[in-house]
Amino acid sequence: MYKLKLAIRYFLRRRITSLAVVAVALCVFIVVVVMTVMNGLVTEFRSKNHNFVGDCVISTDSLVGFPYYAEFIAELDKQNFVAATSGAIRSFGLLTQPNAEWNLGVEIMGINAADHIGATGFAKTLHYHALDPENVFIPSYNPTLAGCVVGIDLMPSQRNHSGEYYHNPNPPSYKLIISCFPLTPRGGLAKAGTDLVNTLSFSYSDDTQSGLVKVDGRVIYVSFEYAQKMCGMSGETPRISAIYVKFADGAALDESCDKVRQMWRDFVEANKTRRQAFLLENVSVQSWIENRRSTIGPMEKEQTMLTLLFAMLGIITVFVIFVVFYMIISHKSKDIGILRSIGVPGRGVVELFTWFAVIVGAIGAGIGAAAGCGVLVKANNIEDWLFATFGFQIWDRSIYAIGDIPNKIELHVLAVIILSAIAASVVGALVPSIQAARKRPADALQVNSL
Amino acid sequence: MSYLSFFLCLKYLRRRKIVFLSIAAVAMSCALLITVASLFTGFINAVENGVGEHMGDIVIAAPSGTKISGYDKLIDDLAAHPLIDGATAVLESQGLLHLPNGNVRAVRIWGIELPRRTQVSPVEEFLINPTPEGRSPSFALDTDGGELGGFVGIGVVAKPDDRTDEYDIAGVRSEFLGHKVTLTTGTVVDTASISAGAESASSGARFKRKTLKFSIANVVYSGMYEFDRNFVFLPISMLSEKLYPDRGNVAGMIQIRLSEAGQDKPIDEVVKEVEENVWLPFAKGRFNWARYAKVESSKKMQARLIAEYKKQMAMLMLIFGVVSGGVVILIFCIFYLIVMTKQKDIAIVKSCGLGSGAVATMFVLFGFAVGAAGSALGVGLGCLVTKNVNTVEQWISMALGLKIWKSSTYMFSRIPNEVDWTSVVWIVAAAVVAAGVGALIPAIAAARLKPVEILRYE
Repeated sequence: MYKLKLAIRYFLRRRITSLAVVAVALCVFIVVVVMTVMNGLVTEFRSKNHNFVGDCVISTDSLVGFPYYAEFIAELDKQNFVAATSGAIRSFGLLTQPNAEWNLGVEIMGINAADHIGATGFAKTLHYHALDPENVFIPSYNPTLAGCVVGIDLMPSQRNHSGEYYHNPNPPSYKLIISCFPLTPRGGLAKAGTDLVNTLSFSYSDDTQSGLVKVDGRVIYVSFEYAQKMCGMSGETPRISAIYVKFADGAALDESCDKVRQMWRDFVEANKTRRQAFLLENVSVQSWIENRRSTIGPMEKEQTMLTLLFAMLGIITVFVIFVVFYMIISHKSKDIGILRSIGVPGRGVVELFTWFAVIVGAIGAGIGAAAGCGVLVKANNIEDWLFATFGFQIWDRSIYAIGDIPNKIELHVLAVIILSAIAASVVGALVPSIQAARKRPADALQVNSL
Repeated sequence: MSYLSFFLCLKYLRRRKIVFLSIAAVAMSCALLITVASLFTGFINAVENGVGEHMGDIVIAAPSGTKISGYDKLIDDLAAHPLIDGATAVLESQGLLHLPNGNVRAVRIWGIELPRRTQVSPVEEFLINPTPEGRSPSFALDTDGGELGGFVGIGVVAKPDDRTDEYDIAGVRSEFLGHKVTLTTGTVVDTASISAGAESASSGARFKRKTLKFSIANVVYSGMYEFDRNFVFLPISMLSEKLYPDRGNVAGMIQIRLSEAGQDKPIDEVVKEVEENVWLPFAKGRFNWARYAKVESSKKMQARLIAEYKKQMAMLMLIFGVVSGGVVILIFCIFYLIVMTKQKDIAIVKSCGLGSGAVATMFVLFGFAVGAAGSALGVGLGCLVTKNVNTVEQWISMALGLKIWKSSTYMFSRIPNEVDWTSVVWIVAAAVVAAGVGALIPAIAAARLKPVEILRYE
């Protein structure tokens, strides 16, 4: 008990301790703000990627695709752990408009809207069909036309300073001409001898804002049947590029992916003698995390790098605590001598100063975390004010696909930062504490030492 | 006084090893800030220069849907201007490149002029098959120059290794050089009758496919991901003939490289000069859209993005700068400790006649010295890390299997490793001032010490 009492007393009496508290608070404040924002950005980005592909993706990199998908989807749909599936065509095409002289290379995604909204978060990305996403390919201004959904950055639209796109109350009526290049199962150009490609004209029906730059800037969704026809994947043995799977609530991701992987292996084995079975061998089964690794990985790496940089700068805080404790202990040799002479062991002295360090760390971290949380809660208001007053934004929303500054305080992040700060305080105080513990009472109480 | 100050500073530095802690902290903060500032500035410069290398210093771009015909005269006029070194025409389009095994890639197509383009862009440096000495790079597939091929970006035909982020250049050479590929682009002839809702895919299509079969004459590896990953380069004559068969050679843009004299002048003035004295006299009477053409420096085209990068860099420096503010507290504590433990020394020198101001100055100077020593060490360490950042990154990649820098993410295949000396000067100045500020209050405390009270033996 005396250890805690003395530690509190030292903390209250030694004004120099406030410097260590300030150093810890400053460091914690910055780390809380930066790591919360960074963590929010990464979490948001992961969630957007998750929404885009669902839980599990069965796909091939080859644009030729793979056959017998309907049988496998039927098998998947029978499983308890599968909530929804969606087959999709993914290919490249050229986009143009009537009488335009430009061509734009785009990614074509053929989906069955009703299936896809069940398997992925596609419905959340729509604007005009947010309430009836299953009819997304039906233009509201003329339901008899074949509609398409355009990545929002392919549209000549503007964003406001908050990153929100302007939309007309009703979808504009215009045509888009999409040309695809049908491939044979062997990868050759179908209709190579002719001068025509598979070209269809679609009417704009809606736009999709997934928040993923590479999707919003180059993907056009069309109905599954048209895409399959345009890409030469229909016919006797129809093919697709990918199957997106959503697992039932409570199904563990890795475990369920393993089950799908095993099912796929069995399926390939059972179908190995059929026509075009060689295309099944190029198919991989991946969880959404594996499938989007190349997109998410760099951002997570940046977060790790930032954490490392802060850890390096945190060493300065450890130095500050070390010096402050060194000063305090060098001025407390009388106390230490008395404690030792009444029987307190060396370990007890170390524990006393460790408590002291914990108090310094906890109070500093508490102040820093409170200030950080305060700033985070008001982060978007502060940015709005900065924009209104000075025209300054942390991220220019017309360039970055970022909405509000992420300011959701994650308790586990906060806890890790506070515990790290306390641990850093203890580390900083450790050497001076051990030195104090090693002092012999006779030396500490000598007149010329006092 | 100066001798005494110097002597005491030296003595404290030797005897009080804790001072080295403050030097280490200053060094670490400086090194970190220098490395971050240099890498960020290097990246920003690389973006600016990389685009300039490919696009030239100034670009004249025809409005959408229009083309510049008869551009040879314009290029001659531009080349004759004293502020301009050379100019070249580019015809842009987009298409799909069909590689073997069903691999279709969406690509951007540039019709370019060789060898004229070498006056604007160092094309020969980007080719994986070097041009023989004394010859200019060309699309010729054989020495006679009879058949022409095209260039493709290395990222169009190959993927970098996941672990090393390096391309298998030998493999690309053997697999693709000289091989025929099919590029599909097209123009719309008549679209009135095609509709997905009404007709089958192939029955009434009026989108005219323009297919170009060409052999890969060389592969472009510029180190700039966007260009390596998405571009196909063809002779402008070949592309013009395919896309606009009745119009002769046409261009979508003219890229201009400035001479040294041009680069010494403010870029806005040069742009105005080019527009008013070369472009408009050429275009008036030929094109009714002459005034709508965009004449702009390539740097200005990137200005918004660059401004955003600079803002991010400033934010990062501010964050690290605030955390590095802990150094001021550290120096304060260490100097306070020195003052408290060296009260007798201070009292003795004061009783020998040294004024309070001189004592304070001594400590502040000592603070500056710590700042200078720490920042000198930090500059050394920061430069060492920055210069060898690619080696460090490779080492981390090999040791941990963690590839930090990927060209697909950061645009370039190598980390820019030039030290930004402007930032170094600011960081060093800030470190020295911060160390002085940290020493200020202990210096005042030392100056206010009364020798009589300190030296009294009670």
